[in-house]
Amino acid sequence: MNEIKIKSKNLNVYYGEKQALFDVNLDLNEKEVTALIGPSGCGKSTFIRCINRMNDVIDICKVSGNIEIDGVEINDKNLDVVSLRERVGMVFQKPNPFPKSIYDNISYGPKIHGKGETKSELDEIVENSLKKAALWEEVKDRLDEPGTGLSGGQQQRLCIARAISVNPEVILMDEPCSALDPIATAKIEELIDELKKTYTIVIVTHSMAQAVRVSQKTGFFHLGKLIEVGKTEKIFKNPDNKMTQDYITGRFG
Amino acid sequence: MNFVLIFLITIFSLSLFFYGRSKTKSISIEKNIKLNALPKFYGYYLVLWCSIPSLVFLLIWTLFEPAIIKSIIIETAANQGAIFNDKNEANLIYEKIKAIYAGTYFGDIDTILKESALSYAKFINLFTNSKIVLIFGIVIASVIYSLKKIKNNNKARDDVEVILKGLLFASSLIAILTTLGIIFSLLFESIKFFSVINIFDYLFGTNWSPQRAFVSDASAITAAEYDELKDAFGFIPLIAGTSFIAFIAMLVAVPIGLFSGIYMAEYASVKVRRISKPIIEILAGIPTVVYGFFAALTVGPFFRQIGENLGLTVSSESALAAGLIMGIMIIPYVSSLSDDVINSVPQSLRDGSYAVGATKSETIKKVVIPAALPGIIGSVLLAVSRAIGETMIVVMAAGLAANLTINPLESTTTITTQIVMILVGDQEFDSPKTQSAFALGLTLFIATLVLNYIAQRAVKKYREKYD
Repeated sequence: MNEIKIKSKNLNVYYGEKQALFDVNLDLNEKEVTALIGPSGCGKSTFIRCINRMNDVIDICKVSGNIEIDGVEINDKNLDVVSLRERVGMVFQKPNPFPKSIYDNISYGPKIHGKGETKSELDEIVENSLKKAALWEEVKDRLDEPGTGLSGGQQQRLCIARAISVNPEVILMDEPCSALDPIATAKIEELIDELKKTYTIVIVTHSMAQAVRVSQKTGFFHLGKLIEVGKTEKIFKNPDNKMTQDYITGRFG
Repeated sequence: MNFVLIFLITIFSLSLFFYGRSKTKSISIEKNIKLNALPKFYGYYLVLWCSIPSLVFLLIWTLFEPAIIKSIIIETAANQGAIFNDKNEANLIYEKIKAIYAGTYFGDIDTILKESALSYAKFINLFTNSKIVLIFGIVIASVIYSLKKIKNNNKARDDVEVILKGLLFASSLIAILTTLGIIFSLLFESIKFFSVINIFDYLFGTNWSPQRAFVSDASAITAAEYDELKDAFGFIPLIAGTSFIAFIAMLVAVPIGLFSGIYMAEYASVKVRRISKPIIEILAGIPTVVYGFFAALTVGPFFRQIGENLGLTVSSESALAAGLIMGIMIIPYVSSLSDDVINSVPQSLRDGSYAVGATKSETIKKVVIPAALPGIIGSVLLAVSRAIGETMIVVMAAGLAANLTINPLESTTTITTQIVMILVGDQEFDSPKTQSAFALGLTLFIATLVLNYIAQRAVKKYREKYD
């Protein structure tokens, strides 16, 4: 069992009057893939958006409770969100490359954080990030072409490379394959397997099969509550909770 | 008379609606058949058939009646011995005859005029009576035709669709034809102008003073006269003045408009946005003449005062004052358009940027603005074309003398101002001076057309990328 990287305690999230998360207590292990499953609107995405404080962007969103990364509280007004997001990268549901060249898409993050002062350093970061995202071979000859011109699966790997480029510790993935075809999905899953050697990964997914394939730990959310969490094998073979059982066997959701 | 006719036709057609509706209902009950359309469509069908042919006929008749009567009357007057050498004299006599008929002529009336006036009265009566008879005929014919149709349970729904489609098409055709008409009238008058003044002398001449352009006989201009003339119609000072003032306006409008657009789209809370956006847009609703006297009476003298205090000579009508006020006028266009394009940049791009740890301003500067850039450029170009077409502010505040200058404190003039100056007051219509207004209008039209085209292309290109 790896060490605990992220720890949430009594996490509550409200969108205006509506409460989206209720007292979520969830530990995520380092260099492991944790899958979050549950029906739409159950709070999985809301939960991972707390880890890099993306919910700050939404005006009406209020977060209470604690989230610790390496024992340091991050749900703190005085915390520097920019450096938090440098440590916790994110990949979104729909590939969202910037309307810039492939090169600029990757170098965007490092430049903002003042990494890669010289051109050759930047080149190296771009090359490494693309290699880690298993995209280098496909795009190395056309780095100055627009990132939006790539195929959907390539775009998503470009976004993963962009997240890697600032050398984070954690990567959050919000249904990264839901807009992709099976072949592109398989590539991303392969990539996730590779990435977990270096990074702590949290993935939200609607595909039970995907959760089984990629994750070591699975959490089941329903109506804003964490119903059950445990080793992926256990959750899918022998869940404790009746609701989890019903969900994974497709009886609701 | 026409109004009475239109009124009668309208009332009659509307009553036919109720008739057609109840008639078809009773037919369907009587014969126990299923109608091919809802009863109300038969009502519409009758209304359209009764009103459109008769109204179209009335319109055409009204358009052509005066010209026909005129030619008949002029001919009868000539037959009775009236003498006129050209068209103008004929027109004069015709106007006299009309005035006698209306009882507003107080000159001497000779027998020719008297006879002509009598025949004029006769023709007017004849035409009016036949118009009424014909219209009633048309109404009756079309009502009989359409009643027969609905009794046969025709597919009134489809027919109404066809008629409505025709009506809509006719309306758009009118809009297009009017535009074409305007363009052609500009074109023909400009061609007349360019037949006197060489187009290159016009485009590259550096002196504009049409007041000096006196020509005794436009059809026979001597070489010496032409040298004088071509010096009066040089376009360069006008385009320079126009661009200069538009440039000053853009210096004001682009930064302020763009920044306020960014604020509205990215920073303002919903509440602030809801209040301040309409307020900014009110600026666009202020009549330009109000901006004009603000520029002429407040800003211009203010600059002159400051200039005097600094020991500068500032004309009270200056490019600076006009450009500044014009810029303020244009701010809402830039701000509201760029607000729209910035808003339509997908949130996912911002999220992507925040997720690698960019701050809000970095995200705006490096992701949002570049993504919205084509749209922003489009909005700026639209604003430029608005600026060069703007008239009232420059007429009131920029001055009339065509100085070729880049000193913003001097007065300059613009294309639009000169068009106004040329066409205000009494004009002889075939002098190059008057015709030059059309040439200016054409040049301005082409310039704004090109700008609008580029702007629309830019905006479209941007839309394709995200839709």
